Amino acid sequence: MNEESIYGEYKENLQKILDNIVGRINDYTNEEYERSGRKLHEHLIARVKSDESMREKCVRRGIDQTPYSALHELTDSIGIRIVCSFIDDVYENVRLIKSFPNLEIVLEKDYIKHAKPNGYRSYHMIIKVKAPFEDVCGNTPGEYFVEIQLRTIAMDSWASLEHKMKYKKHIANSDLIVAELKRCADELAACDVSMQTIRNLIMNDN
Amino acid sequence: MKLLLAEDEKDLSRALSAVLTHTGYEVDAAFDGVEALEFLEKNDYDAIVMDIMMPRMDGIEALKRIRENGDFTPVLLLTAKAEIDDRVTGLDAGADDYLTKPFAIKELIARVKSMTRRHDSYAPKSLKVGSVTLDTERQEVTSENSISLALKETKLLEFFMLNAEKELSTERIFDHVWKNDDSADAEVVYMYVSFLRSKLQSINADLEIAGERNGSYTLKKL
Repeated sequence: MNEESIYGEYKENLQKILDNIVGRINDYTNEEYERSGRKLHEHLIARVKSDESMREKCVRRGIDQTPYSALHELTDSIGIRIVCSFIDDVYENVRLIKSFPNLEIVLEKDYIKHAKPNGYRSYHMIIKVKAPFEDVCGNTPGEYFVEIQLRTIAMDSWASLEHKMKYKKHIANSDLIVAELKRCADELAACDVSMQTIRNLIMNDN
Repeated sequence: MKLLLAEDEKDLSRALSAVLTHTGYEVDAAFDGVEALEFLEKNDYDAIVMDIMMPRMDGIEALKRIRENGDFTPVLLLTAKAEIDDRVTGLDAGADDYLTKPFAIKELIARVKSMTRRHDSYAPKSLKVGSVTLDTERQEVTSENSISLALKETKLLEFFMLNAEKELSTERIFDHVWKNDDSADAEVVYMYVSFLRSKLQSINADLEIAGERNGSYTLKKL
């Protein structure tokens, strides 16, 4: 049994970086709440990918189980999911995160505007942050990847159900179930869009 | 069931109205094409029985205008001429059936019944304008993505798509989409236009609904 972490000596940095980003997200969220009473997110999940999952992912990708693979080839060692009430809140979070100093956007995918064929909706960002620690390439300050997913409560509940389905490989009528799941995604999206519109109508009327 | 009868011969009109009313229909009688269109602007009918030869505006012209307005109410044409050209012109203009005078009243009633029975199957199930497809049965609108619609949203979008690029007043929309809803208020039109605008945007549609609150709206290609 290999006792050493796949993240090697960098492991402890990951939690610190995660805490720092979450702290900054909470700061602007609290500021906005005090200013306007608007809650920019309902809840937030933050995690450093477990050793086990990271090793598994390396095996799946056919790459060596090394800190370099985990921190440089793969980008999801640090992950944050921000779950919001309204679609506009998702975009507001994206805007605020992008304004963080010492941050570089590596990849941005708007699956809300461009839903995946199965109906999946979410906003994905991979960012690179500068941190006052050495990174796996030997740079100080180092650069670390962080993956951020942003979505509404409705998108989140759909994604969690769809995720459960993936583990049941051989279900009867799977084509029909996939089509019906997509219909559910479209119905939930309809609710999201309607509720956003209602909120806008209320705000414009007052 | 509500019928519009457009017939310029007063005696025949009176007789048909009496029989149809007795059969259980509610009948409005117009005496020329212009008057028929005026009735249609204000009311909604399950079927229209219309004479071809009428003063001011004949039945063919009135029928063309009805269909141009996106109105798919079934139409039975009455024709004095037994000429084939006349019937073909009528059917081409959007008539669902015709009857040559003189006719047996029993046959007229049977044909009206048959037409109204099938009305649902006349309405198109799928409409396409620009990149946007509306499936009225599944209540779903698709462009790059797809999204579900509520019943009234489906009816409203269907009305817009059948009348693309045409100006539709809030009153006209309200009368068409909320015709059987006594509790509704015309204010609901703006709200549902807002819903549709957001939904069209969310699927990256190349359509927009132009117009101001409580005014007229037009479905336009971007």
